[in-house]
Amino acid sequence: MKKLLVFAAITLMVMANVFAGGSGETSEATADSPVTLKVANYALLESGYEDFWAGVKEGFEAKYPQYKIEWVTAPYGEILNQVINMAGGGDRVDVIFGEESWVPQLYSSGLAAPVTSIVDEAFVSDFDPAVMDVFTIDGDIYGIPLYVSPFILYYNTELFEQAGLDPANPPKTYDEMLAAAEKLSQLTDANGNKVYAFGQTTASVVVSGNALISMIYNFGGNVFTEDGQLDVDNEGFRQAFEMLQLLDEKGYNPQNAKLKDLRNLFALGQLAMYYDQSWGFNGVSSINPDAASFTASAAPLAGGNGTGEAVLCSHCFIVVDNGEARNAATNAFVQYVISEEVLNDYMTNITPAYPAKNSMADMEAVVNSGVLKGASESISNVRKVPYVSAMSDISLDLCTLAQAVTVSDTPVDEAIDAFVRSASVKL
Amino acid sequence: MNIKTGRILSLILRYMILAVIILFLLFPIYWMLATSFKTNMEAYQYPPTFYPDEPSVSAYISLFTQNNQFFVYYVNNFIVSGITAIVCTLAAVITGYAIARFNIRWTVIVASLLVFTQMFPIVSRMISLYGLMSDIGLINTRTGLVLAISAAQIPFCATLMSSFFRNVPKEIEEAAYVDGAGRNRILFSVITPLVKPGMLAVGIYAFLQTWDDYLHAATLIQSDNLRTLSIGISLRYLGELSYDWSLINAISVIGTVPMVLVFFFFQKYMIKGLVAGAVKG
Amino acid sequence: MRSLSKKKGDMYYAVMLTIPALVLALLFIFIPIVDSVIKSFQEYKVRNIIAGLPGEWNDFENYKNIFISGSLPTAIANTFTFVVIVILCQFILGMALALVLNSNVRFARFFRSIMMTPWVVPTVISALIWMWLFQPQYGLVKYFVQLFSGGEVTDFAMLNNPDTALMGVSIAALWKQIPLMTLLLLAGLQNVPQDILEAATIDGAGSLRKFFSITLPYLSPVVKVSISMSIIENFKQFPLFWTMTGGGPDGATTNLAILSYREAFVSMNMGSGAAVTTIWMALMIITIGVYNKLFRTQDMS
Repeated sequence: MKKLLVFAAITLMVMANVFAGGSGETSEATADSPVTLKVANYALLESGYEDFWAGVKEGFEAKYPQYKIEWVTAPYGEILNQVINMAGGGDRVDVIFGEESWVPQLYSSGLAAPVTSIVDEAFVSDFDPAVMDVFTIDGDIYGIPLYVSPFILYYNTELFEQAGLDPANPPKTYDEMLAAAEKLSQLTDANGNKVYAFGQTTASVVVSGNALISMIYNFGGNVFTEDGQLDVDNEGFRQAFEMLQLLDEKGYNPQNAKLKDLRNLFALGQLAMYYDQSWGFNGVSSINPDAASFTASAAPLAGGNGTGEAVLCSHCFIVVDNGEARNAATNAFVQYVISEEVLNDYMTNITPAYPAKNSMADMEAVVNSGVLKGASESISNVRKVPYVSAMSDISLDLCTLAQAVTVSDTPVDEAIDAFVRSASVKL
Repeated sequence: MNIKTGRILSLILRYMILAVIILFLLFPIYWMLATSFKTNMEAYQYPPTFYPDEPSVSAYISLFTQNNQFFVYYVNNFIVSGITAIVCTLAAVITGYAIARFNIRWTVIVASLLVFTQMFPIVSRMISLYGLMSDIGLINTRTGLVLAISAAQIPFCATLMSSFFRNVPKEIEEAAYVDGAGRNRILFSVITPLVKPGMLAVGIYAFLQTWDDYLHAATLIQSDNLRTLSIGISLRYLGELSYDWSLINAISVIGTVPMVLVFFFFQKYMIKGLVAGAVKG
Repeated sequence: MRSLSKKKGDMYYAVMLTIPALVLALLFIFIPIVDSVIKSFQEYKVRNIIAGLPGEWNDFENYKNIFISGSLPTAIANTFTFVVIVILCQFILGMALALVLNSNVRFARFFRSIMMTPWVVPTVISALIWMWLFQPQYGLVKYFVQLFSGGEVTDFAMLNNPDTALMGVSIAALWKQIPLMTLLLLAGLQNVPQDILEAATIDGAGSLRKFFSITLPYLSPVVKVSISMSIIENFKQFPLFWTMTGGGPDGATTNLAILSYREAFVSMNMGSGAAVTTIWMALMIITIGVYNKLFRTQDMS
């Protein structure tokens, strides 16, 4: 009995080690074997993006046989932790595919390297300076965008028609939106379900915080000063949250929704307008493949004294300095992916977005993209979010503030006070 | 007459309580099964349909063909849970025996230390365990995961096991000792065979608990190929882009079935073991 | 002679047998716990992890901040509310079911088997099952509420409303935990001597009286153990909250587990997360201590 058990235990332990060794660890590249490039990429786990990235790996390795790509994956919400934890264990990735809002944390953790120290200067200088400003901290650029999009307004043309509104003439201000919403909220879908008029995400995830900052900018408001101090004592900031409270009272905005909930409702024809990044359309069409027939976009709404300025979002690469050999591979990889050749099909069929690189401005995908046409002006009306190292914390606090004035019915002033208390200890 | 109505009333009351609670416990299981056989469009219908209008196995097909990373998590969960169950049972046997048989200060201290460990929240261990495990090269390995989970499970398992050892008459041991048997032989060849049902109970308990683990794997594992079930599901199938509720329900069904089978197959031992541990321990 | 050496030998043997469990507990439980308590007094963030820098003493800054921001008091309140609601409901419903199954209902054995099913469903999956039932647009619970309120309430969203979200998570917890409670109470009920119950019946005692003066006292050891197991489990509850609500809306379901995880692993401020867990541990130990003391004095009276 004893021997048997001990034997079984030893066998299993050995097996466990074999398995672990086989799939868990990676070997360092030696001089004559290919350089392995570690790319952290959450998109491989999202079924809408998986094929594209598999194609990138194949194409890149065919073009550069001396380099091999190794994906490091974790879901969207976890990949930053993973990259940081791995670095803590001495295992640093070379490239992180992420969003501009990740830059502060990667910069403050000391992981992100200035892009120009690794990628050819000539390549970097071909990008729109206004866009690159978003990635600039202390004069250095810490991220390079594949494509960009502000939070734009998606709307459902069929619902607009049913409500007697002109689908070619979407609202431009929050007041116009409220007028339209009153009509839209009378509609029901085919099953008799309520149609929500206007969606703005407020659930507690970092990207929702970004969407809220964008809405504050719509109203000409401020969240931070240039040097990253809290600056919320302004009309625009207040008005944005008063608007959220109003939308909630009227039942226009689905409560406590994540962007994916809004995409879901929009795809099923139960949401008439909502704010999203342009590539959110990928989520919409993965639920309802016919969504393109009723989806149109418009510039963000203007409110109060604001002009409808928005936060510019992007999918970008953030690079890490890992010595000459791997940096060279990183340089090749970044330039390979951010090209018309690789991104054209992707931006046409999978994730509509605006290019940030000058040489790509006229690419076919953008010129022909139906769903993005309406909002194309908005790209020039964006404002930078100043560098704040605790950005993701503050984003979550903004979500809590938005939830306080909506689902909790807290008076706006009181909720803002609570936000300031919580946020100021983090700055 | 009056007494009779009272009895009938109490009978009715009893069956009503039974019906309500059993419905509460079992209906969600039915709902999970029903949804998993709906198409996504039907799942999103409101008012909901109580059984699939057009039963469809498309969620299962997509699970087996496109989303088969799920089975990597599944196999990992089996390996980790299986090894942990064996490690915990072995450790529980020797520790439980020591606690049950040797009433000296040392074992009393050990027993109370083990009870104490169960009060520490996992998150507080994880904050430091990450760094410590990478120092000894156990981060992101199954061995490390198994050891960390085992450390958390062994205290309860050992306490449970000791209640089985207490039921073994001391005379058996003494007789063996008089016959000249060594301590190891007494423990492993004389006593252990008598507590096999207890070992089974402890093993299954450890297996079930490990199958349910979330936080250990969330912090200690980074490779997608080493992830276990709970964390794998919540990370991979609850992505930010969109929900697929039919698929999620199909995953839930497949993730639950083996546990239900294990339980019903071994329920005699399980129930006895848990009851012994809680009631007498 | 032999008995003396046996005693000594026994001692060495006992020590030896407990070593493996102790080493594991030391490595994977006690050292990390002590380390995290130390970190709770330090500035310890991402930069420290990546550069391998040790933490720096920061004058109780972590503790001050979680108090000032108001997050800690809410989390403590949520934790206790959840524990109390779940344990009360679980005990009442579990006891009711156990009493019914212990009486002469038909198919009691069959029901005892199938009622255990929720207990073996993995926690994350039970969270998913209930999220789907509570889903705000297409969920079954919304439909039932609409039906039974005669069409009055058409937008019931359990998990999106700060007033009901904690209740929603509690229901999922109850669903998973009632079976074990019932099973343990049922086992305890079988230890209640039948002859005493019968004697009381002959003396004309009512069922309520019999329950409170005979059944419950006999059950008290089982009740004590099963409730203390339940306190520990629900005090530590994490995956259910994390999957179902992530602590929202408006912090209504942020318990100590969620708060510490968010501080340590989302905000990547280990020092602050460790401060939360240190307070959490202290509260847990105090709660269990008070619980044991209360129960002991009750036993004697």
